[in-house]
Amino acid sequence: MTTPLLDVRDLTVTINRDGRPITALDKVSFSVNPGEVLGVVGESGAGKSITGAAIIDLLVPPLKRTGGTISLNGDRLDQLSPKEMRRVRGGKIGFIFQDPMTSLNPVITIGRQLCDAIETHLRLGGNETKRRALDWIARVGLPNPDVQFKRYPHQLSGGMRQRIVIALALCANPSLVIADEPTTALDVSVQAHILQLMRDLHRESEVSMMLITHDLGVIAKMADRVAVLYAGRVAEISPVAELFANPSHPYTRGLIRATPMPTADGGVQLDQIPGAMPGLGAVPPGCAFNPRCSRAQSDCRSVVPPLVTQESSAFSCFHPLERDVA
Amino acid sequence: MTSQTPFLVLDHVSKVYRRNQSLIERIRKMEEGGTKAVSDVSLVISEGETVGLVGESGCGKSTLARLVSGLMAPTQGDIVFRKDPAGKTPRLQMIFQDPYSSLNGRWTIEDIIAEPIKVHRLRRGRAAIRARVEELLVQVGLSPTDAEKYPQEFSGGQRQRISIARALAGEPQFLILDEPTSALDVSVQAQILNLLRDLQKNLGLTSLFITHNLSVVRIMADRIGVMYLGELVEEASAEQLFRKPKHPYTRLLIDAAPNMDTSDRSLHPIAGELPNPAFPPAGCRFHTRCPFAQDVCRTAAPPRKATPEGGMFRCHFDLDLSKEVKTPPLAKVKTA
Repeated sequence: MTTPLLDVRDLTVTINRDGRPITALDKVSFSVNPGEVLGVVGESGAGKSITGAAIIDLLVPPLKRTGGTISLNGDRLDQLSPKEMRRVRGGKIGFIFQDPMTSLNPVITIGRQLCDAIETHLRLGGNETKRRALDWIARVGLPNPDVQFKRYPHQLSGGMRQRIVIALALCANPSLVIADEPTTALDVSVQAHILQLMRDLHRESEVSMMLITHDLGVIAKMADRVAVLYAGRVAEISPVAELFANPSHPYTRGLIRATPMPTADGGVQLDQIPGAMPGLGAVPPGCAFNPRCSRAQSDCRSVVPPLVTQESSAFSCFHPLERDVA
Repeated sequence: MTSQTPFLVLDHVSKVYRRNQSLIERIRKMEEGGTKAVSDVSLVISEGETVGLVGESGCGKSTLARLVSGLMAPTQGDIVFRKDPAGKTPRLQMIFQDPYSSLNGRWTIEDIIAEPIKVHRLRRGRAAIRARVEELLVQVGLSPTDAEKYPQEFSGGQRQRISIARALAGEPQFLILDEPTSALDVSVQAQILNLLRDLQKNLGLTSLFITHNLSVVRIMADRIGVMYLGELVEEASAEQLFRKPKHPYTRLLIDAAPNMDTSDRSLHPIAGELPNPAFPPAGCRFHTRCPFAQDVCRTAAPPRKATPEGGMFRCHFDLDLSKEVKTPPLAKVKTA
């Protein structure tokens, strides 16, 4: 049993709407082990991005963290002062945002932005800072680092910009990187490049990663373990191969079957989940998935199923899918 | 008129977006430059057929949709619809990508769906129009009582259903779908795709389905065209395209999308980046990224070759690409 690098327990985030608190994230618990890639998957509104933002305390009001503990290497992040938190952000925890268009400062050269991040967190001398920045530009695969150093974000293509965002996230040697939909804004051919780059850098630096995405294909290729979120709750956490072969939660199976993917025999399967995910504040009593679930029974409609750990996986369902006996 | 007559013919269609010329260029009467968004595309769509168009952003697929819909005129070439015995061109409707911006928030659902009915005078009288609106709502899986509501009261998937109902209200013979599911979540996307598939089957619609998602197009289309930098590089039946692609780009595009197989976790990026569409490379446009490129690819544009199965591709070589292409791992990208 390894001690997890990041341990999140009962994380609760509420949104204040007309003086009435509405739960956006309901007692979410998970952990990331050292060197591991944890995939976080779910549909929009499931709370994936809120989870990422809550860990580094970047929640935008009216969203507010109201409960739970977050510890990184044993340090309680949820008790840090805002000033101390600034040292964690970008220092111990790197963040890769979805849109490389808006996550870089358009009026500062990319070289300056990299130097700023390195200077702030590593406190190196000017020459050494610049050397590292150039080194990072080369490491993320941009040609002619000296030329790129002086360029502005608008002079780069979307894929190149995302490479710089990745360099920014990793340049201060963080122990954890949170990547929030890093390839969603990119084309397929560029997406594969960025994923390859993230995988290479992950192997080199052994940094832990939390990969937030809605794309099960990306999860299948990148993640070691996967947490499935539904309506602000954890539906299932399993090792990646087990999740795809033998999902326990009916929602996980529904999500996998709803993704258009060619099957082995060349045909294409496509099964829909009826209905839609409940919106904020409209979560039904009991299991949030019960109105859409074919296995729902009376207990599902009244009691919220707890997250049960079984061997290597955990799920929150009273009537889990049976494991295929291999 | 037999079903053999093509429903829609695109004959060497090109579209150039002109840029503004500088004063000096105008004085010197220099030749007008511009971005060739669609370049020499020929395509035939038969009645009752769904043709898919795939490609990355900037490949000209949305421009082609606008040309076909008549929202823009082609710079060169002709777009010819089959006329019915009365000499009228078929009615055409479009479904757009973003269900949030394509519905008027100040109109009720009834107003939105009734508009094409009123414009084309398909029903007379308030009661008949209302009955038709309710029928359409049921057809797309919504409730007749939703007619009183406004678009804001619906989720993305439901809004896309309303868009579909609006398109069907015009009783179109031809439907253009421009990325109809890319703004939706997977579980909702599956619902909309199943709905569209049912409608296709029941109404016998001819349609042009545009998407960047190869898996989606495989489900929806009978024939698929692959576009790269404004050119149609390959066109074949859906089955044929996935089993035996003839153009290297098609093969690489199929491999680039990560599948859900957790046992083989290799990634297959396409080398290099998409060139600027305003300055496409000389010769074969794909040669800068193609693992099979030879000298001839850099100088001569590849001819249009027909396949015995009725498809076509643009490549100098006749490659066997039925298996995954093993390309050397590219740690660093080379960009121009």
